[in-house]
Amino acid sequence: MNKKKRASYYIWKIIKYITCIFLAILTILPFWIMLVNATRSTYEIQQNSISLLPSKYFMNNLQILLGKSFNPLKGFINSMIISGGATACTVYFSSLTAYALVAYDWKLRQSFFTLILAVMMIPAQVTSIGFYQFMYRIGMTNSFLPLILPAIAAPITVFFMRQYLISTLSLDIVNSARIDGAGEFHIFNRIIIPIMKPAIATQAIFAFVASWNNLFLPLILLTDKDKYTMPIMVSLLRGDIYKTEFGSVYLGLSLTVLPLFVVYFLLSKYIIAGVALGGVKE
Amino acid sequence: MKRFTALLIALLLLLSMALIGCGVKDNKTDEPTGQSDTKQEETKKEDKKEEAKEETPATNDQVTNDPDVKVINLWSFTDEVPKMLDKFKELNPDFPYEIKTTIIATTDGAYQPALDAALASGGADAPDIFTAEAAFVLKYTQGDASPYAAAYKDLGIDVDNLLKEAEIAQYTVDIGTNPDGNLVGLGYQATGGAFIYRRSIAKDVWGTDDPAVIKDKVGPGWDKFFAAAAELRAKGYGIISGDGDLWHAVENSSDKGWIVDGKLNIDPKREEFLDLSKKLKDNDYHNDTQDWQDAWFADMKDAGAKKVFGFFGPAWLINYVMAENSGGSAPGEGTYGDWAVCEPPVGFFWGGTWVLANKDTRVPAAVGEILEWITLDSSETGLQYYWANGTLNGPGGTKDTVASGAVMSKSDGTLDFLGYQNMFEAFVPAGEFANGKNLTQYDESINIFWRDQVREYTAGNKSREQTLADFKQQVADNLDVIVE
Amino acid sequence: MRHKGVNYAKYGYIFCIPFILAFLFFSFYPIVYTTVIGFTDLKGMGRTDFTFLENPFQNFITILNNGSFRQSLKNTIIIWITNFIPQILLALLLTAWFTNNRHKIKGQGLFKVLFYMPNIITAATIAILFYSLFGYPKGPINDLFITMGIIDEPVYFLINKATARGVVSFIQFWMWYGHTMIILISGVLGINPEIFEASDIDGANNIQTFFYVTLPNLRTILLYTLITSLIGGLNMYDIPKLFLLGGPDNATLTTSVFIYNQAFSGSYMYNRAAAASMIMFVIIAILSGIIFFIMRDKDVVQLKKQKRKLKKELKNAENMVRRAVE
Repeated sequence: MNKKKRASYYIWKIIKYITCIFLAILTILPFWIMLVNATRSTYEIQQNSISLLPSKYFMNNLQILLGKSFNPLKGFINSMIISGGATACTVYFSSLTAYALVAYDWKLRQSFFTLILAVMMIPAQVTSIGFYQFMYRIGMTNSFLPLILPAIAAPITVFFMRQYLISTLSLDIVNSARIDGAGEFHIFNRIIIPIMKPAIATQAIFAFVASWNNLFLPLILLTDKDKYTMPIMVSLLRGDIYKTEFGSVYLGLSLTVLPLFVVYFLLSKYIIAGVALGGVKE
Repeated sequence: MKRFTALLIALLLLLSMALIGCGVKDNKTDEPTGQSDTKQEETKKEDKKEEAKEETPATNDQVTNDPDVKVINLWSFTDEVPKMLDKFKELNPDFPYEIKTTIIATTDGAYQPALDAALASGGADAPDIFTAEAAFVLKYTQGDASPYAAAYKDLGIDVDNLLKEAEIAQYTVDIGTNPDGNLVGLGYQATGGAFIYRRSIAKDVWGTDDPAVIKDKVGPGWDKFFAAAAELRAKGYGIISGDGDLWHAVENSSDKGWIVDGKLNIDPKREEFLDLSKKLKDNDYHNDTQDWQDAWFADMKDAGAKKVFGFFGPAWLINYVMAENSGGSAPGEGTYGDWAVCEPPVGFFWGGTWVLANKDTRVPAAVGEILEWITLDSSETGLQYYWANGTLNGPGGTKDTVASGAVMSKSDGTLDFLGYQNMFEAFVPAGEFANGKNLTQYDESINIFWRDQVREYTAGNKSREQTLADFKQQVADNLDVIVE
Repeated sequence: MRHKGVNYAKYGYIFCIPFILAFLFFSFYPIVYTTVIGFTDLKGMGRTDFTFLENPFQNFITILNNGSFRQSLKNTIIIWITNFIPQILLALLLTAWFTNNRHKIKGQGLFKVLFYMPNIITAATIAILFYSLFGYPKGPINDLFITMGIIDEPVYFLINKATARGVVSFIQFWMWYGHTMIILISGVLGINPEIFEASDIDGANNIQTFFYVTLPNLRTILLYTLITSLIGGLNMYDIPKLFLLGGPDNATLTTSVFIYNQAFSGSYMYNRAAAASMIMFVIIAILSGIIFFIMRDKDVVQLKKQKRKLKKELKNAENMVRRAVE
């Protein structure tokens, strides 16, 4: 009996590891191919689009990339402003809204939460036509603001933050701070934000990745070359009608992913540790 | 639930207030546009002045620039034209304008919506010069967006004389002429197509690689072409790489375009493409590749399932695509140097970029100067001479055919890639066969639907009737076109 | 003893103001605008003026009768279901493994970090990669299958509707299972550890614990996952658009791609696109409502009812007392 149990335990263990390693390979492979292709010539890529071994055309690809009115530094800065701004807006204001929903007992609280749930259901695509025309009418094109400010209202993040606060916030801390004479806003900034750090980190990753990879809206809103984001620049590389320099396209794609890697790995300890989310709905 | 509805009503109220607020804002933002309106009116007045003066031959002096404007906005979908303007500035160091370029790729379908919005909204950021590709140029010269295009003559260009002097191919003029009969756009390239074939395979099958002989083997007409395909197949060769190669020739040799009087029209010659494509596939005459995909490129260097005899294409296909993919860079390497061009079975053209100006531009004379240099200047310092001889960025660049016959006749189109054949021999007459009257503004979208359905048919997934029915359905569902 | 009558409730309102303003300005107004356009004749480039149609629902009728729209709706639902079910199952399995404190997997931190990574790459990159993977007549998958002897001659995978949809589903699955897993793990971590201890003492094994303790306590988070995935799935745009342009033969045409094509490719039929958008919104709202209804917490609903009843009774009692006093 015991032996049988032990045997099945080991079989399970092997299955677990095989599954995990298989999924890990499935994850790494595309990244690897992308990085390797960044060092291969267009000719090699066309001959055989996928290779596991790097070649020696990295500098060549870089030259093509830089020669094509491609300014990675500028794109990087623009993307950083937009994604950084949008991420900061999302996590800060969502935390604030979530805190309002959890810590205070106000009359419309429940209705407001229901509203947020309803807003969550509105698909972004639905609003894009109206949004686009609206921004044109008020002359907000070629500005970063229409790409940053809407991030203030992020219902899905509010929902996430609320569940987190429910499981971690104790109102005693808030009350004792009040007795010490701290203002409400001060309490939120000095006490609540640090408590929410793990949830903020997790949501920051999600928000940053989504904003960084967003192509459609920036593409139609930003027409000034000096305001292009990294993904727009890469999409331009593919837009050459006569031939596609695949090597430099992959290099460009790799360059867009690198900053994400940095952000992701910096915050990844929160992914590893996990964030406790309360299951309470009301 | 009640509370929820109450909240919703409150929100609606708030919104209506917000809307009123926006209305106020709109008024505010209207002011500057109002100013530009008055400026536009001024330019309109100028237009009228011009019209009054038109009886005397137009020269640059009569079109005046707004002295406050220091920037020319250029919109394009590649960096080709922007790089030309760099050269223009280099040649004219006194040209007082800064060129502000906007490049949006056509890849994700973003160029047209962005350009349209920019043209429609006007103002200081509106494009002064913009470019359009063959697949959608009709929209800007004759279709929905044609009211935005300025007539070349209103930019101070002496169109009629220069057209004759430069010997511009008629099809580019046809495409660039708006419904009022004014020329609004011209290309710098000539994209008339030829048949580009392998010398070694021609020798193997017919014992000669002379273009004059091969021309009569593969054409004229599709019957002769398929007879040649059978001969090639008997020796183990494919005549072309995929049906996409054939399509550009078929598309452009048809008598009418996809839309006639607002209705979908399937030209018999285009419908025949179904059968031609099926015949190619069933008889194994090609490698069943798709244009612009890896396998298609591979066939240019003998890396496909069977060797491929030829490709249909204009000069740019040779220089930018085939030479790059031939597996070599000098005769003897890969397939480099083993090619030749001859007249195709049917005349056609493929691709090309047209250059247009915004009719609301505030610097019409300066814009006219640039456009004339790109499209109509047949001198040795005109853009087209540099372009034809590959000397735009110094010697040794890529040669190409250009729109001006005058430039072509004094340029040298000899290519080592073609075994030292002068490609202009085949491409100059090719421009005359091309027909610019069967394009429509929806070609890009409709062609995607059509090619997709033809692939379904040749793969044996559906009947011919079903294929045509599904194609009509797709056009009706997705475009504002009447389908019967 | 009241502290100078400080009313904290007002901060609840104040702290929500930024959210509400941003929402009204950037979401609500465009939604209303879109809705309005759906009833008008706004089409063609550069137009901003419009008039309402004689039959206000004309665009909606046109869209509902549009063969491509129906096809796209069918595709969207097929692709969503075929990627969501394996995705949530795998995410649950991984969650069970990674939150099991008795049998820890070595390097699970690394695995967690890796599994989320596919979400980082842009859709454009993934589309290019997969397109070359399934290349025809030459491509890595074809080469591999031929060397392994599974097929004799190259197969045109991406012209086959089922395969094309399958690949899109797979990409979606692969991109999102890690994300779902992270959310689910967070949900498990939020469950009161005492509950697990209790089930441990009762002698429940891993599987029993998972089904009888973890899952029921995960309800809210599962609901969240389900709803966000439903919204994301029914709005799928990037991959279908960039991978095969909705082809072959409309097999991967999703409703979002359809809407984009109506509005921006060719005819600029903003009115039809807006009508299609509103139809999608209604569909999503109904489906979400159904999910909410199925997943609702019956105990909480009961509790709420009782609360309301009590309040009513209290009021009645108050009134009675008042009347009695008068």
